[in-house]
Amino acid sequence: MSQQPAIIGLGMTAMSVTAGPDSYALASEAVAAALADARLERGDVDGMLVGSSQGVREDRLSVGLARRAGFGDLRLVEHLEIKGATAVAMVTRAVLAIQAGMARTIVCVFADAPIAARSAVPGSAGALYARSGGNSGGRGLERASGVLGSVPTFALLASRYLHLRGGTEADLCAVAVAARAWAAGSPHAVNRKPLDEDGYYASRMIATPLRVLDCARPVNGAVAVIVSSARPDGEPKPAIEIRGMGAVHPMRRRRAGGESWFGGGRQAIEDALAMAGLARGELDVVELYDPFSIVTLCLLEEYGFCESGQAGKFVRGGGIAPGGELPVNTGGGQLSGFYLQGMTPLAEAAIQLRGEGGDRQVAGARTALVTGIGGRIDHHEALVLAQEAA
Amino acid sequence: MTQPLPQETPPGAGDWLVAPELAPDAADPVMSPVYEAAARGALALPFCAACATPLELEQYVCDACGASAEIGTAGRQWRDVPLAGTVHATTLVHRREPGLIVATGPYPVIDVELASGHRLVLTTATPSGQAPDIGATVEIAFRTVGAVTLPAVRFPGRIADGKLLTGE
Repeated sequence: MSQQPAIIGLGMTAMSVTAGPDSYALASEAVAAALADARLERGDVDGMLVGSSQGVREDRLSVGLARRAGFGDLRLVEHLEIKGATAVAMVTRAVLAIQAGMARTIVCVFADAPIAARSAVPGSAGALYARSGGNSGGRGLERASGVLGSVPTFALLASRYLHLRGGTEADLCAVAVAARAWAAGSPHAVNRKPLDEDGYYASRMIATPLRVLDCARPVNGAVAVIVSSARPDGEPKPAIEIRGMGAVHPMRRRRAGGESWFGGGRQAIEDALAMAGLARGELDVVELYDPFSIVTLCLLEEYGFCESGQAGKFVRGGGIAPGGELPVNTGGGQLSGFYLQGMTPLAEAAIQLRGEGGDRQVAGARTALVTGIGGRIDHHEALVLAQEAA
Repeated sequence: MTQPLPQETPPGAGDWLVAPELAPDAADPVMSPVYEAAARGALALPFCAACATPLELEQYVCDACGASAEIGTAGRQWRDVPLAGTVHATTLVHRREPGLIVATGPYPVIDVELASGHRLVLTTATPSGQAPDIGATVEIAFRTVGAVTLPAVRFPGRIADGKLLTGE
């Protein structure tokens, strides 16, 4: 029977911090896992949306994945690119394509493999990012000025945010500690060792005010979700309704007298909530894109969960931690969980709404907000998800 | 008229912060006016020729008036600007990428709001282990990476010759 598009399958690889299979192999594995999860065969799928990390990968995923992952003829195949907002946007595109009759069952997949055993770039994932970016354009001047990788840029953003809003490094610490507390309950999380304030302050400084524990943990891995208007026979996993969708792309300018990193994102959440007919207070879990601890603070205010300048106090009071008033990034997020861009919050929302969160399950979670951001908080994509009514 | 300034790191001496391989592409059409001006001790930045709005380095349509400001056209006007600004954001970078960063300690990266209205992310002209406060006044000086001269930040008072702010 055909119904509203819903998420009916979720597949995840192991999240690895060491070298292993390339992104195509990882993506194929996640797709196979999602098919098994949804009790579907490849022939049941007629669409594929592919997302990949921007720019820096030799094995960057493309639409060639459809052939690599063993699919036959498809009606819809697309590679989507909205920087970090891509994965969340893929679900929106899948819903729209299904509603338009362009496809019925679409697999959305993202994979990344920044940690390579043999590469032109020696060393860590950090070294890969540091050596990416080229020497032309404004980026060329920034790189020659010591801005290597994304951490110095987000450190600048963090310094500005803390200055404007009256925050301190204690706010960043509280975000990192809360993320780790959630991660302790997630088998997918790569950083599960208990973390307290002392451990946070003892961690290595990368670029003030950001320590290593303020930064996402790159992994090799993949996640696939299946969006479909069909409901598999038998006893499938509960379908997850996509009740609300919203996006906004503020075009802030870097110019004296203005703020280039903050503002303009809230409409994505307002639109998604309005479409879903829900208020913020009716959200059971909130899964945010958190590549750096500072971003969680920014987004709590940007999206209207905290008044301006109040996110730090809210987080320090345990507001987003296990047992808190607003469960945020319940799998440890990108900070302590794993960094697979927008698939990190999307996968965790699906797990929570299925009630499969194990030790980290938020009791009675029936609704979730998922957001993806891209660039320097320049692109916002939001979904409101809910358990499908029986 | 802007006075030519002595470069803080003469060509060939090696930059204090980064390896020569991080030298920008001086022939890059987007940025070459910046590097040509820096070589004569000036800071040149783009403006909309129609309405004088300061443009980002990679902005090709004026957001204020909608005029085209494509590279190499009269719509994109390069002007020497005062060597003065304030700190918009700042960080002290502790991670030093082996082979690319040659400094031996943490180094500052500063997002400067220039008096002209532009913003640039720069490091300091001379070795520094300190990040200035947001809102602090800074001056623009120059450093050389490989064969390319770049704008950089100087904290006021470090050279008291009075020439820096004579501007245009």
